[in-house]
Amino acid sequence: MLAHLASFAWDAPSVDLHALAPEIVVAATLVVVLVIDAFTGEEQRWAASSVAGIGLLVALVPVATLAYDGATRVMFGGGYVVDDYALVLKALFLLSGYVVVLLSTNYIAEGDYWEGEYYQLLLASVLGMMVMASARDLISIFVALELLSIPAYMLAAWRKRDLKSDEAGVKYYLMGVFASAVMLYGMSVIYGYTGSTLLAEIAPRIGELVTSEPIITLGIVFVLIGFGFKVSAVPFHTWAPDTYEGAPTPVTAFLAVASKAAGFVALLNLIYVGFWGRHDVYEPLMWVLAALTMTIGNLIALRQTNVVRMLAYSGIAQAGYILAPLAIAGSSPEAADQALHSIVVYLLIYAAMNLGAFAVVMAVARKTRSAEIDTFGGLFSYAPGLTVAMSLFLFSLAGVPPAAGWFAKIGIFQALASAGDTSGYVLAVVVAVNSVIAFAYYGRLMRVMWMDDVPDGDTTPIRVPTSITAALVITAAVTLVIGVVPGVLTHFTDPINLLALGR
Amino acid sequence: MFGLLVAQNIAFYVIAALIVFGALRVVTCKNLVHAALWLVLVLAGVAGQYILLAAEFVAVTQVLVYLGAIVVLFLFGIMLTRAKTGHDLELDNPTPAKVGAGVIGVLLLGVMGYALWDAWRGQELGDIVVQRTAEVSDSLFSTYLLPFEVISVLLLAALIGAIVLARRD
Amino acid sequence: MLVNQFLFLGAVLFCIGVYGVLARRNAVLVLMSIELVLNAVNINLVAFGAMWHATDPANLSGQVFALFVIAVAAAEVGVGLALVLMIYRNRQSIDLDEVDLLKG
Repeated sequence: MLAHLASFAWDAPSVDLHALAPEIVVAATLVVVLVIDAFTGEEQRWAASSVAGIGLLVALVPVATLAYDGATRVMFGGGYVVDDYALVLKALFLLSGYVVVLLSTNYIAEGDYWEGEYYQLLLASVLGMMVMASARDLISIFVALELLSIPAYMLAAWRKRDLKSDEAGVKYYLMGVFASAVMLYGMSVIYGYTGSTLLAEIAPRIGELVTSEPIITLGIVFVLIGFGFKVSAVPFHTWAPDTYEGAPTPVTAFLAVASKAAGFVALLNLIYVGFWGRHDVYEPLMWVLAALTMTIGNLIALRQTNVVRMLAYSGIAQAGYILAPLAIAGSSPEAADQALHSIVVYLLIYAAMNLGAFAVVMAVARKTRSAEIDTFGGLFSYAPGLTVAMSLFLFSLAGVPPAAGWFAKIGIFQALASAGDTSGYVLAVVVAVNSVIAFAYYGRLMRVMWMDDVPDGDTTPIRVPTSITAALVITAAVTLVIGVVPGVLTHFTDPINLLALGR
Repeated sequence: MFGLLVAQNIAFYVIAALIVFGALRVVTCKNLVHAALWLVLVLAGVAGQYILLAAEFVAVTQVLVYLGAIVVLFLFGIMLTRAKTGHDLELDNPTPAKVGAGVIGVLLLGVMGYALWDAWRGQELGDIVVQRTAEVSDSLFSTYLLPFEVISVLLLAALIGAIVLARRD
Repeated sequence: MLVNQFLFLGAVLFCIGVYGVLARRNAVLVLMSIELVLNAVNINLVAFGAMWHATDPANLSGQVFALFVIAVAAAEVGVGLALVLMIYRNRQSIDLDEVDLLKG
């Protein structure tokens, strides 16, 4: 009997606490916010936002020490990896989480919402994203996806008594849950075929086949479609505009930036570490998704009259640009490297410029109580600072120097060209055409802000709260500095490397 | 041994037929409460299949969590949101949408069936060894320790959020 | 027993679930259909788990994965029904086609 028991001896896993420190800090912050919220009265409610913000910044400290240390830390047999790639993305998630906290502070405090709980869910979602950056195992990826999504479903419905917000939450929830169920089916057959949930073990077993087996194709397609939903790729984008318009604006910014970036991170992990050898499956799929996403996103963005919806569709189009390099990632290790760098750089720049744009929209909406494009008329005459900032972000989104967007877009073109085949060049042309289309609607908003008259003639200046000003300063500074000196960014992104194969 | 195999096969097909029938009723019947009760049949049948596969711990979890908690949640949800628990014609999309959904379902079944047949035709399950709960827990608390911890945060977050959304204020 | 017995059962359940998601318009029924899909996934995972366990006794990923799916499904249903309750409070109905204030 004893010998029998001994055969089930449990091997304590080796846990590297330093490597997990950023996640632990965020989880601890969540608990602190929970306790503070439970034991303080109505007048200390502001503490939740401050503690959440401080916690997110403190979590950057271990990220920095890990980056300084430089070693790649592998845990749980390869299921959890902390390397340069994961650290850069964790920093992105923490910083964008911090900016979202700044954007939320006044909005949530003034709107009679549940405050402490709001920040707890926000922290839980950020934690899910950080885990996702390191997850290299189907189970970890699934669990991280759910941890980042489930709080987001509820945050989208946070304006409880508003029917639009309810609808935003339910739509997002039902489509998200269904997409993750389909993704799980794909994961189950991939596990069944390879016998492992570790991406590093899956890669050789499906990569060694000369052509893909139908079941592998099915599995990969289902998994990628599940994440196509998360990054709002056309035709899985239908939730995005409604959810973005209905959700509280800071949550919209969070979904449009952090949640979308987390979806891309999962796609990168899966494709680069797990499916890289099966480029005959994912390249055509990504090609079609990318081309559809950017074209349809841009065409619908042209017709929008609401700035938040316009930004939502422009975000869909941007997702198309970010998907594009994945369509050529499998052609050679060099092309894969180029594609990876271009995507990470794009995600970082996209986060700064899009959060900035949302910050301006929120600041303006504090006065006008609306996000219709007309209400931005004559903004320059009474809020020149905001107008200049918004112009910077719009330049960046359109890819006009000196704002950072041009550098991101050049990266995409370089990656597409590096494959040296027709599909890459054709897709590069599609990206170029779409960039031109996008000028139209960015330009329209610009013209309204600078040229038009104030619709109601009310030119009292906008009082921008400190926290939104801080968010604007951070995002504008990042957008401008990276645009002028891209080296600041590439210093961090150059060491990134993610291929499990072909080395 | 052969007799056992035949018995297992008979059990499989009987339970599978119940599952498929129950599932079809879940997606077609015109009464919310009946749909939830058909779902019970499906979930219980699935637990039976887990026992045939010698996955005892998952079978017990299926009964405790799915049958014990999730179905009860569904019933609560139905009772709290709808006085009308009888026959209801407004549960479905219009007929064209249903036909489209049926076509998609059948096509999908064809594609998936072919892919599965192609990959595992003739593959035997082999001698199914009972997968002991102790082994499952060893795996859960070593290789999969991290997702396990992450799930605990997830459940906390779901709890907090669900209370805020569902409460009257 | 053949592995495919279980996999075909899973595929049938999956497709019935997909049909339900597309054909139903009551939010609770859509959620039930999604549960069918998740159960299809779990049948797959446990069957594959048993198959791989027979060749390699240390391989229990299938079962563990299924447990994670069950746990997450419980959290999802809890959140889903909270959302449904909230909507019902605001508009006395949970039909999805009435939820259409916002248009593409």
